[in-house]
Amino acid sequence: MALYKIVPKNPYYFWSVMSLVMQAISAQDEKLAQTMFLPLAERMVEKMVKEEKIEAEAEVQLYFMILERLGKCVEALEVIRGPLGEKLTSELQSRENKCMMLYQRLQQWPECNALAHKLLLKNPDDWQFYPSYFDSLFHLIDQSWIQPEEGDHCPEGEVHHTVAEVVRFVEERIKGEDGKESHSLRGPYLARLELMHRLRKRGCAEERLLGDPFELMVQFFGKFGDKPCCITDLKIYLHLLPAEQHVQFINRLSKAVPLREQGEEGFSFPEDTKALQRHLCLCQLSRALGLNHSLDVDGKLRLITELKAHYRYGLKFGKNAVKTELQFSDMYCLMAAHVYIDLWTETGDENMVWQCLGLLQEGLSHSASNAQFKLLLLLLYCRLGAFEPVVDLYSSLDAKHVQHDTIGFLLTRYAESLGQFAAASQSCNFSLRFFHSNQKDTSEYIIQAYKYGAFEKIPEFIALRNRLNQSLHFAQVRTERMLLDLFLEADIVLSLEESVRAMPLSAEDDDIPWDNMRDNRDLTVFTSWDPKERELTDEHRLRSLEEESVWLRLRSLTLRLLTFLAGLGHTPSQQNSKMSNENGVGDKTSVLGSLLSQLNQTLQTAAQLAEKHIQYPFLGPPATRLAPALSSGSCQCQAAALQLSVHLQELETVGLDESSELQTQICNSFKSLVVQLQEILNKCKGDLLEMKESKLKTQPSLLENLIFFVETVCIVLWMASYCAKILRPLKTGLQKKKKKKKDSQTALPVVVCGFQELTGSLQDLLTQALEHIKGQETGMTALKLASLTLEGPTQEEVSFMQAAMDKVQSSYLRSLQEVGDLLKKRAETIKSLKI
Amino acid sequence: MTTLRPFTCDDLFKFNNINLDPLTETYGIPFYLQYLAHWPEYFIVAEAPGGELMGYIMGKAEGSVAREEWHGHVTALSVAPEFRRLGLAAKLMEMLEEISERKGGFFVDLFVRVSNQVAVNMYKRLGYSVYRTVIEYYSASNGEPDEDAYDMRKALSRDTEKKSIVPLPHPVRPEDIE
Repeated sequence: MALYKIVPKNPYYFWSVMSLVMQAISAQDEKLAQTMFLPLAERMVEKMVKEEKIEAEAEVQLYFMILERLGKCVEALEVIRGPLGEKLTSELQSRENKCMMLYQRLQQWPECNALAHKLLLKNPDDWQFYPSYFDSLFHLIDQSWIQPEEGDHCPEGEVHHTVAEVVRFVEERIKGEDGKESHSLRGPYLARLELMHRLRKRGCAEERLLGDPFELMVQFFGKFGDKPCCITDLKIYLHLLPAEQHVQFINRLSKAVPLREQGEEGFSFPEDTKALQRHLCLCQLSRALGLNHSLDVDGKLRLITELKAHYRYGLKFGKNAVKTELQFSDMYCLMAAHVYIDLWTETGDENMVWQCLGLLQEGLSHSASNAQFKLLLLLLYCRLGAFEPVVDLYSSLDAKHVQHDTIGFLLTRYAESLGQFAAASQSCNFSLRFFHSNQKDTSEYIIQAYKYGAFEKIPEFIALRNRLNQSLHFAQVRTERMLLDLFLEADIVLSLEESVRAMPLSAEDDDIPWDNMRDNRDLTVFTSWDPKERELTDEHRLRSLEEESVWLRLRSLTLRLLTFLAGLGHTPSQQNSKMSNENGVGDKTSVLGSLLSQLNQTLQTAAQLAEKHIQYPFLGPPATRLAPALSSGSCQCQAAALQLSVHLQELETVGLDESSELQTQICNSFKSLVVQLQEILNKCKGDLLEMKESKLKTQPSLLENLIFFVETVCIVLWMASYCAKILRPLKTGLQKKKKKKKDSQTALPVVVCGFQELTGSLQDLLTQALEHIKGQETGMTALKLASLTLEGPTQEEVSFMQAAMDKVQSSYLRSLQEVGDLLKKRAETIKSLKI
Repeated sequence: MTTLRPFTCDDLFKFNNINLDPLTETYGIPFYLQYLAHWPEYFIVAEAPGGELMGYIMGKAEGSVAREEWHGHVTALSVAPEFRRLGLAAKLMEMLEEISERKGGFFVDLFVRVSNQVAVNMYKRLGYSVYRTVIEYYSASNGEPDEDAYDMRKALSRDTEKKSIVPLPHPVRPEDIE
């Protein structure tokens, strides 16, 4: 405002108006916004309006924004419909859109209706106005609205307030499209189906006026069946067909699909790409109606053969395609892959997944840019426990920036859990770089928005920044990255204390926005033509977010407890000031106690969740590590190890004399930890990859359990290290006392013996694990995959399957190597546990 | 059936089906925000009845009015594979041209990879012609050589004599572009 007083230019004035609006938006107290900031802003703008000083479009938009936030819709409408509204020129249809929104808020249904169909007359393909048109109709009917005799005409024009009028309007639009020779618009045809859907939902008998949905959809397919979007359009309305008509529907549509070319195996093929697209749509519709899923195993296998034949035949249409183009018949390949997956999940027959992988690799060889092939390959390899091939696949997608938040989870869910630690660090880093740069950048764009008068954008930019800061994926990668660093380096490269000190974390602080977590994952990135009952639902999304949050809480608490443990390692004089030194032990205990109790509570919640055995669609969100972490026993063992710190702290205070009960308790805990670790290790035993009945079988859960073992052993070792730090001075002190008393024969304190047993057992466990790994490596390398009799009609098919198997084998070996290397380093650290 | 509406920040989380195409670049957040702040009217997205994003266009207006170089520019135009062959790209271009007309632009221009014959032909069908070639405009990400671009233009009504689209006789380098 000071600027404005010097140079009375509008922008300066409006910047201060915008500042008031910003204060209103960010005000904690909504009443303050409504009673002070916004009215003040409103008065400032009104002053300019009265003095006729409004110049720019941005100023009108700001005025509109203020009125809208104040809920003053009538006044806002006047502004838009009046002379000021004429300034809203740069965005197409800006006035009409704002009017429509206000009519809806004010529930002025006649105006809403009239404006909607006026806009639809201009552009019958503009989908956003059909819902408004239909909604307003139903409101008018519900209100028993009657057209006023004369005068009082709706300012927007004619109102359609009966179903018959609306039906006629839609039919007329359709007639308009029917008459065209080319480029008919889909809008009116879909609008008719949409209206039918709504009438049916309302139980309205007048649905009959529109005709038979069967015929309408046949007609739609006839007109638009050669467009790739036909399936996405029709899929929305398939529920209008009763189940008994499904097969008949497909049969009827096939009459509109010309297949004249005779091919092998008795199949007929399309002559050109349009016919191909029609046939493809037919297959997609079949799947969406559930007809694929109702086939038995043989039926599905026959379907796969047919789809593969169509896929390979269709490649001829794309012989001259550039590397960046997709093949016309690619979606046949994808669909066949989906049926393979159906069979795999139904029967557990591993051949299905190998053939599926082979087919997708074949598809990729002809269509190197097909993102859907890459995504599905990625998913399948991960499900088989093979992360190595995923690195290149993901990198070839060239996903960047915000895509790290929306699809980064495909990588970070699996990298560490499958033992590819280097790749795991890297994938966390991609995401973290993006999130950190976002925290720095957005303010600049808010300033730019002020400069260009894009006031409406400012709240939107702030919302975006919040959405990214509160991202579930962000919270996960920063937690997992820190844990990974500790697992890989703490007490190997740096001590646990030094590693923790290098991190931006303290035990008391929890910077995860639990209450405002945003799940930004794109869970529909995989193309799917599954029937409605198999699709991802809102319920799935909620359950997935819940599960991810619980798992994150477990990991976050574990991390914070480790941070706490690292702080305990110091003598009081060396401790970080974060741990309030002044209050001494009491305060430490309460933080520890609180964290441990939260951990136990979360474990209970986790157990309850795991019992529910929630199943997601195959192409939906991946299950978290929660259930296997619990069933392997690793969560419970980690919690027990961390719990031990309470007793160890006590021992430190009390000393070795007069503490035999405590010492026995501690020793029992030691023994229990060893037993639990052995149980986890037992769950790793078995062959990751084996030949059984001439089929190649995988057991990825064995690898996942091995990683749980690694993580757990690390935590137990850190606990042991802390224990050693406590016991050493106590033992030395005891020896000095003995010397003084000249006691020649005294037994070692119970806890010291117990601890020595512990370190011995840990050594044994690690040796066992390393032997197991060696055994697996030897066995796997010796597996002669080439000697498998693979089923495939062509040599080419067999070689693609072979390639996929090789990749999985190589990945397992890589994981085993990385895990083995880490366990060797951990085994080395046991030497330093001598007391 | 298409809803054509302004692109919003939330759409950044829904555009994978469009941006996972090899020729579509995903820019950093600041890039999108700059366009949303400065030229929001040019940033339009098409949405399908089921809520999926079909495609979008990003553009801006720049250049000197005095030198008759004030023009609309297409920064990005992309349609998801499953929504192609509906005339959507043409529709989005039409809107950008209309907005540029309202702003008094002399012409609309865009850069396209010389190898992207599909796109080049589409723009030609929409009335665009090659104005000049820009050598090594597109830097390759993965060790492949940089690629040339065509700078294609279409004159708007303000350029009555269609001066702006008279082709240059020789190619230029990226540094030479205003």
